[in-house]
Amino acid sequence: MSHFETRQHELRKTRLQMVDGNLTANLRSVQAGVSARAYVDGYWGFAAAPAGGAGVAAQVQRQAADNARAMAGFGPRRAYALPGAHAAGEQASHGGPLLSAAECSERMAALHAHCMKTYPGLRSTRVMLTDESHLKQLQTAGGGRSLSRIQRAAAYVVLVGEDEHGAPIELTEIVSGPGSLADIDWSLAALAPKLDVLHGHLQAKRHAVPARGGEHTVVLAADLAGMLAHEAMGHPCEADAVLAGAVTAGLRDQRVASELITMADLAHHFDGRELMCPVYVDDEGTPADDVTMIERGVLRQFMHSRETAARLGLPASGNARAYGPDDEPLVRMRNTAILPGSSTQDELVAGVDDGYLLLDTSNGQADSTTEFMFGISLGYEIKGGKIGRAIRDTTLSGSALKVLQSVDGVGREMKWSCNGYCGKSQPMVVSVGGPALRARAHLGGE
Amino acid sequence: MSDLQDSTVADAVDYASDYAVEQAAEQALQALRRRGFQHAQVTASESRRRELNVAHNEPSLLRSSLSHKLAATAIVDGRRASAEGSDVSADGLAALVDQLWDSARSSPQDEANAVSAGQRLQLVQGPQADDAQADPRALAEALRELLAWRSAHAPAMMIEEGQAAHALVRSATRTSGGSAIDCSLGCCGLSVFGLAREGGRTSSFNYAGGSAHALAGAAEAFGILRLMAELTRQIDTRPLGERFVGDVVLGPGAVDDLLGWLMEQLGDGPLIDGSSLYRERVGQVIASPLLTLRSRYDGPGCLPVSADAFIAPPATLLDGGRLTQLTPSLYGSRKTGVAHRPVAGSGWVLQPGATPLAAIVAAVPRGALVGRLSMGDPAPNGDFSGVIKNSFVIRDGEVGPALAETMISGNVAQMLLDVAAVSAESIDRGSERLPWLRIGGLHFS
Repeated sequence: MSHFETRQHELRKTRLQMVDGNLTANLRSVQAGVSARAYVDGYWGFAAAPAGGAGVAAQVQRQAADNARAMAGFGPRRAYALPGAHAAGEQASHGGPLLSAAECSERMAALHAHCMKTYPGLRSTRVMLTDESHLKQLQTAGGGRSLSRIQRAAAYVVLVGEDEHGAPIELTEIVSGPGSLADIDWSLAALAPKLDVLHGHLQAKRHAVPARGGEHTVVLAADLAGMLAHEAMGHPCEADAVLAGAVTAGLRDQRVASELITMADLAHHFDGRELMCPVYVDDEGTPADDVTMIERGVLRQFMHSRETAARLGLPASGNARAYGPDDEPLVRMRNTAILPGSSTQDELVAGVDDGYLLLDTSNGQADSTTEFMFGISLGYEIKGGKIGRAIRDTTLSGSALKVLQSVDGVGREMKWSCNGYCGKSQPMVVSVGGPALRARAHLGGE
Repeated sequence: MSDLQDSTVADAVDYASDYAVEQAAEQALQALRRRGFQHAQVTASESRRRELNVAHNEPSLLRSSLSHKLAATAIVDGRRASAEGSDVSADGLAALVDQLWDSARSSPQDEANAVSAGQRLQLVQGPQADDAQADPRALAEALRELLAWRSAHAPAMMIEEGQAAHALVRSATRTSGGSAIDCSLGCCGLSVFGLAREGGRTSSFNYAGGSAHALAGAAEAFGILRLMAELTRQIDTRPLGERFVGDVVLGPGAVDDLLGWLMEQLGDGPLIDGSSLYRERVGQVIASPLLTLRSRYDGPGCLPVSADAFIAPPATLLDGGRLTQLTPSLYGSRKTGVAHRPVAGSGWVLQPGATPLAAIVAAVPRGALVGRLSMGDPAPNGDFSGVIKNSFVIRDGEVGPALAETMISGNVAQMLLDVAAVSAESIDRGSERLPWLRIGGLHFS
């Protein structure tokens, strides 16, 4: 057996939602389990069971090994020597005491009351809170012994208004960060000025015009650049996608982007600070390293598990991550970002004669071809270097290779966020970051 | 390729488990009552899963998993909270009850909070643990056939992830109102996610899969074989290169996106916050008269039970385009005054039409045959724009090359009204059976 890992994994989650002062969701959950995964003669066996019972770990380990051996019935398969060190260590916990259920309810009600009092004409509000905490104890047959944690929290405030025709429109303010709901500042005092700005955008959106469909010069605000990094080039640089035939497979050491673009999947620190989803040891026990996918426009590295690294003859990078107690590790991103440049967002806007400023996004999707899309929930026209009318919800898309090659300006201020999930047969907690960018891309519209 | 090795097959997922879900649900309900809750709903469940995975066209992993869950919603003085845990021991139950008490006591009072009453059901459906369809050798056979078909008919296809699985969920739900719902629901699943490639050229990825009581013939029924064949014709693509207003012929995967938006509009969230476009439209025509959407709650993997423990009677949600009901939960109904008519989470059939797909395509002067929509959530008013993926151009009734970097925009509510044809063919994924739809008036760019 060339690799064997056993993971005890506890996942705690909170989800609350208040719609117009009504607490419509108020859920807390705990899932704890033991899993084992074995690599035998080129095949994997995986088994998982609830934690707590006597002898569960031994039973799960035996089953995982049996499952791997059973796969031999499919015939011989090449067995790789899986690379990578086996880490030992403990990751410290984030933050202090948790917020009580009462504090959460009271703050949500106060936010709703504030919005309805301060913003006349508002049709509705939604306030949502989520947090989740993963505690993973991993042992590998190679000598790895690690305890790792992912803790993140997010608060969402959605303002729902009406456009000039009476149709509903909405915008969302999100605060997210590492730790629990006690560790991010979603107090009324902190959110009130942000909600004033959001409400201003909502008023502008009442009279929004459709975007013109087609290719345009766009300035992506810093909040969107991380999404671009994740969707556009992050997924195609996951080595399992590369092995499946993503177009990135044949582009290593070739120019794929403007020289202004450096993009990385960072393990745990950037610029001397711990990131929002710090991964020191992945769920195969590999010490986690930074992966620079694009260095000054040139495609350099892919993200790896031990197996994809072995298949491609490259070092394991510590990107094998499992979401839940009964999930096996897959190649996943961690903290993916475009690194900052030297411009301000205002300078980027001033250089656009006819285009769009895109400020907020809903969801995004990637493709093996590097063609990506993400929803745009807030944007404005740019005419003669000045911001004009708000635009209706639209979609941004393009080939990442073409879009990144067209980048002619990169902002200097980084923004990070860690709300939402990356989806890839399992969900995953990730963070994304980046500065404002100016590029050419395709907008949906008439 | 042979079957799995017999020596270890018999051990798969045979963890000793004496988790009696009916007893656990009863005990949890009693514990909540003792703690002081006036109303409660409890579900105890055990899930077992066997799954064979394919990675990069090769069998790669055999998984077996067992999980336990205790889920409860409880109400005290009109204050509600929910909790879930995997620790089903006495200590785990005590911790869950304490957690619920703390959460509920600090929640706002809401007289709309309530639980189901008087619902009774005992249901055993689909392949159970000892049935032949659940045997890992049956799963292996399904994978073997799938991989053999790929090799023979779609060698350019790269199955990035594929799986054949059997899942069995035993659950018991009890409420303080006397509801007792016991189910043992088994089903098999088969799915493929991947792309086609030749040299350095690749198609977009796509996915097909579904649930069935047995996997024989499932790859064809779920549209997996069709998907693999189509992907090999999508390696070479070209941009549309022009803007126009035209027609789409949406494949079942894209039709599912349309129906998902409609179902969301009919449920709690938009009804409670007032953003639903259909709050006052029951009894009115909201879609093309060609559209009839019926429940199929006895489909593989489906249960005729709502999330809040009501037995869902058969329903025809759209009857010739006419909206027959909204779908609030009990809470949503009490909050909004909308009639409570429970629906289950899955199990729907969009009635096929009489026109063959080929004839529908032949009638399109300018547009696209769309396999997948890649788009953000539509705006609350239904406006959307998205990239059409795994799609082919249609010109003068002829299917042309595969498309790249092509977007459409429109309004989902209007699209439902603008359906001009429904195909005779459909894809039956077990939980849903959906045809192709022709819809006009979309903006291409």
